[in-house]
Amino acid sequence: MPVDTAPDLADAAISIRGVTQRYAAAGAADGVLALDNISLDIRRGEFVCLLGPSGCGKSTLLNIVGGLFKPTSGEVLVGGRRVDGAPHPDEIAFVFQESTLFPWYTIIENFRIALKLRGVAKSEWDDRAMEALRAVGMASFARHYPNQLSVGMRQRVNMARGICVETNILLMDEPFAALDEQSRMVLGEDLSILLAKTGKTIVFVTHSLAEAVFLSDRIAVMTARPGRIKTIVDVNEPHPRAPDFMLAPRFGELRNDLFAMLREEIRVAMASQRDPVGGGVT
Amino acid sequence: MSALDSAPAEIMGMPRGRAVALTRWAIIVGAALALELYGRLFADPSFFQPLSAIARAWVNPIMSDERIVGALGMAVFEIALAYGLSIVVGAAIGMAIGGSNFARASFLPIVLLLYAIPQVSLMPLFVLVFGLGAASKIAFGFSHGVFPVIVNVVAGMRNTNPLHLRAMRSMGGTRADELRHVVFPNMVPSFFVGLRLAMTMTMLGVILAELYVSTGGIGYFTRVYAENYNPAPLFALIGSLAIIAVAFNSLVRVAERRLMPGRRPTARLNLSGARTK
Repeated sequence: MPVDTAPDLADAAISIRGVTQRYAAAGAADGVLALDNISLDIRRGEFVCLLGPSGCGKSTLLNIVGGLFKPTSGEVLVGGRRVDGAPHPDEIAFVFQESTLFPWYTIIENFRIALKLRGVAKSEWDDRAMEALRAVGMASFARHYPNQLSVGMRQRVNMARGICVETNILLMDEPFAALDEQSRMVLGEDLSILLAKTGKTIVFVTHSLAEAVFLSDRIAVMTARPGRIKTIVDVNEPHPRAPDFMLAPRFGELRNDLFAMLREEIRVAMASQRDPVGGGVT
Repeated sequence: MSALDSAPAEIMGMPRGRAVALTRWAIIVGAALALELYGRLFADPSFFQPLSAIARAWVNPIMSDERIVGALGMAVFEIALAYGLSIVVGAAIGMAIGGSNFARASFLPIVLLLYAIPQVSLMPLFVLVFGLGAASKIAFGFSHGVFPVIVNVVAGMRNTNPLHLRAMRSMGGTRADELRHVVFPNMVPSFFVGLRLAMTMTMLGVILAELYVSTGGIGYFTRVYAENYNPAPLFALIGSLAIIAVAFNSLVRVAERRLMPGRRPTARLNLSGARTK
């Protein structure tokens, strides 16, 4: 049963209403159900994590919110406007894994493309880019090529690219997945500080429990495929969060609760991977 | 590659770079000495002559006979034109075929089929259509050079990272932006692999056509020297062709180093023609 903590609608930056997604698949007559009737309202300035076992459709949901995929049914409203399978780069910026920086352009050239597509005047490109790079402590690497930087540095830059376009909403699709545990935590901390300043609305997909607890205001726990919202966990901890928060008893409790909820879903997901839906090859 | 990378910094008490250069020169000088000795002591002078005689023949008649210098110049012209055509036409066809899944699935198998035909068997057709002069050499060189360009452009357009395309779309990029900022830059290393293969193939095509039929080109002189059992100028002429080949290949390498966008590992050419990083 979908959980819907309906806040005041005027407050909702993103409103997901009954979103269902089916994929065509060999051997399954009406396709594979990836997302089943998802409804969720996200308030302005809120940081929401989508957490779930792999293959549960959390990235699919994020891509639907960003207008990169079109849902089979249901709708998404962003700032009251219906997202209809087309991106809204003026409202929404994406941050994917660090490898989405274009390797044939220098860092600053990567930023210029994002700013140009956003419709920013050419005279402002470099100022805006440098400002965002300074915010993540990477200003001195503006003229480097991405593969001259470490993975962690690249992800800082990639985050800055998402921030420099100054959209109200940031969608982050497992941005730290390629990073080691330590860099993840440090970057998460920086992100927490950065975002407390900008007041952006953020939807963040992850499969890291600690990351979810440390960063989110609310965590939407999803079920194994077909993806539904199993429950929503409130973190109730002001931003920016100090690393001490990770040592607080509440942090551990929340993480354990989440793990308990996820464990059965992970088992279901693993079982269905051994026995694919509809007997088709997946 | 890793074996080279892990090699010691010093070999026989000298820096590795110098040791490598020295070894190369030692091989070249050793081979030259062996050829010289073989030519002087054992070879039948109507089939082979010592290097010193070949060097003399290079100065005279090869470099002093206007007709031969002209023929070499003509060969350079033919290769350059055939190569230029291969690049322009090959890139255009490659982009058209690589631009969509539909076009690739429809046309690439046909291109590969044509590529697989041993083109020497079609040589008489080229002569019939393009005549005995430069045109048939250029056409034959082009028919060799154009395929590696097409195939590598298509391959380069195919291995575009879907995440880059998605990032582009999420930033509001159009299909034109995708092509300009993602697909084309991504294709460049593969394109240069195609260019290097095409250089070799074009030269092969032009020289094959020259040898097959030629009324005053290098093919004509090659035949004259071979049929008159006059090996010294023959080898000198072939040596000149080798120098031309090396010069063209160096040009492609310089162009590659200048034009490759971004700081990326240069694509290496291995025997299968595939790209390695």
